[in-house]
Amino acid sequence: MNTLLEVKNLKVRYGNIEALHGISFDVKEGEIVTLIGANGAGKSTTLMSICRLPPPEAPRVTEGDILYKGQSLLNMPPHKVVSDLDMALVPEGRRIFGNLTVEENLKLATYARTDGHEAIHRDYERVYQLFPRLAERKKQRSESLSGGEQQMLALGRAIMTKCGFLMLDEPSMGLAPLLMYDMFRTLRELNQSGLTILLIEQNANLALRFAHRGYVLDTGEIVAHGTSEELLADPEVKKAYLGG
Amino acid sequence: MITGGGPIPEVPARFVLRRGLARTHPRRKAVPRHAARKHHFKAKVPLVEIFQNILNALQFGSFYALIALGYTLVYGVLRLINFAHGDIFMVGAYLAYFVAVTLLGIGGLNLGLHMDPGLALAITVPVTMILTALVGVTLERTAYRPLRRKGADRLYVVITALMAGLVLENGNLALLGASRKRFPDMIDKVIWNLHGVTVTNLKVIVIVASILVFLLLQFIVTKTKIGMAMRGISYDKFAIPLMGIPLDTIIVVTFVLGSAMAGLAGILFAMSYPILEPYMGALIGWKAFIAAVVGGIGDIRGAIVGGFLLGFIEIGVVAVFPSTLRDLFAFSVLLIILWLRPTGIFGVAQTTKI
Repeated sequence: MNTLLEVKNLKVRYGNIEALHGISFDVKEGEIVTLIGANGAGKSTTLMSICRLPPPEAPRVTEGDILYKGQSLLNMPPHKVVSDLDMALVPEGRRIFGNLTVEENLKLATYARTDGHEAIHRDYERVYQLFPRLAERKKQRSESLSGGEQQMLALGRAIMTKCGFLMLDEPSMGLAPLLMYDMFRTLRELNQSGLTILLIEQNANLALRFAHRGYVLDTGEIVAHGTSEELLADPEVKKAYLGG
Repeated sequence: MITGGGPIPEVPARFVLRRGLARTHPRRKAVPRHAARKHHFKAKVPLVEIFQNILNALQFGSFYALIALGYTLVYGVLRLINFAHGDIFMVGAYLAYFVAVTLLGIGGLNLGLHMDPGLALAITVPVTMILTALVGVTLERTAYRPLRRKGADRLYVVITALMAGLVLENGNLALLGASRKRFPDMIDKVIWNLHGVTVTNLKVIVIVASILVFLLLQFIVTKTKIGMAMRGISYDKFAIPLMGIPLDTIIVVTFVLGSAMAGLAGILFAMSYPILEPYMGALIGWKAFIAAVVGGIGDIRGAIVGGFLLGFIEIGVVAVFPSTLRDLFAFSVLLIILWLRPTGIFGVAQTTKI
């Protein structure tokens, strides 16, 4: 399997505070990898660094490198990460455009695509087939959707940017358990059809049951990694993150 | 002065207007003011005057609307009140002047051109709009973008805008001196007289232009991806790059559109009221800004409705009261509207986001 994303000895600062003290991990094509850890461990910071978000939100990378398909992302403007590479991020809190309709949200995500009407049309159909609820609510302002539907829209939007590598920041947050399982079932389906996934979760149990491999992040450092089975069985991980 | 439109039928004296275009009407001199007023009061329904006033209100409203569109576009995208926008309108009028006199060969750059006024106008309009757009983009690049990059608080950006406006005004003063410029005649004035209502071709052009611009912008904002991105930014700036959309490009497009409309307003205003001075943008800019807010800032329909509303209120006040009361009454009415609807006519309450 080819390595898709490679993070090498990444050190990141917010002002004077170092948030990541040199972390390394990789994601191979077709995998589901999860980063787990408590609040403030640096999970979201890692994703923000990968996505090169615009200042002033973005943390500053002081050392190390982020490679995607062998290409460094560090000097890439944030929109290019999405438009030129096939990466996509479903951010924490979904951040859909509430003042636009469902349809417009999806259409906006195709802004930078150059692969023609047919491919875009196929993706619309795929999204509406995955989430029939979105098709029903096409013309509705998206802020009027329920939390679960908004999460579907955020995921649909990522698909519409034509992504092969999807990063998700706490997708289970604020979802009822039933909806949460639905969401993960859909993600697994997408993975089986070729999507590589990097998942960030506080719910370690859920994340490890879903992912192939995992990394455990603690205050800016990776303290354990392995396959999901290994991590689920690890007594240390069990004690700290899986509730005994 | 009257060069087209055929012979003008005789108008009964009672239909001659008290104000507005009648001032420049050749027959105006023949009817002393008191006589006109006496007859006016005799008329049971001064329908002609009402129509004339509606027309004037539409013309004035068009200027306000065109400028208000620039305020509302930039606010809609950046949540920034671009207080320099009124002065961009002024710059637009001056740029139009320089382009026009250059093309006509009566000043400006001596290129040895002596164009036909019609052709000169056809070139002046797009060139002025492009140049004014460049001024707007330069302002964004040099003044607003660095602050945005540093995450400056909104207050500092607004103050920067106010200062940028003053720099434009006083830069003009320093560059060109305090003397006023007279905008050359670009079109032959045609006056039609429709049952006593005087309609000039220029008035029609101004009103039609503002409506076309509104329709064009409304289309861009509601139907195109750029327009969706503009609306998206106003809701969540952070998520725009995640869609593969370059944030700065959308902001530049916004300034291009807003400033080009101010440039167009500058040309049309200079053609209607051909005296240019450095402070011409200040008051009209404020008024257009207020019109945009009353209409519901951030909404293009609001800019148009607010602009025309202000035009109607101003003309309506002057039709009944002495003209010195115009601004007092007009702004009192707008205050009441805001008091009743604090978000403006088309505005929706903004939920604060993190």
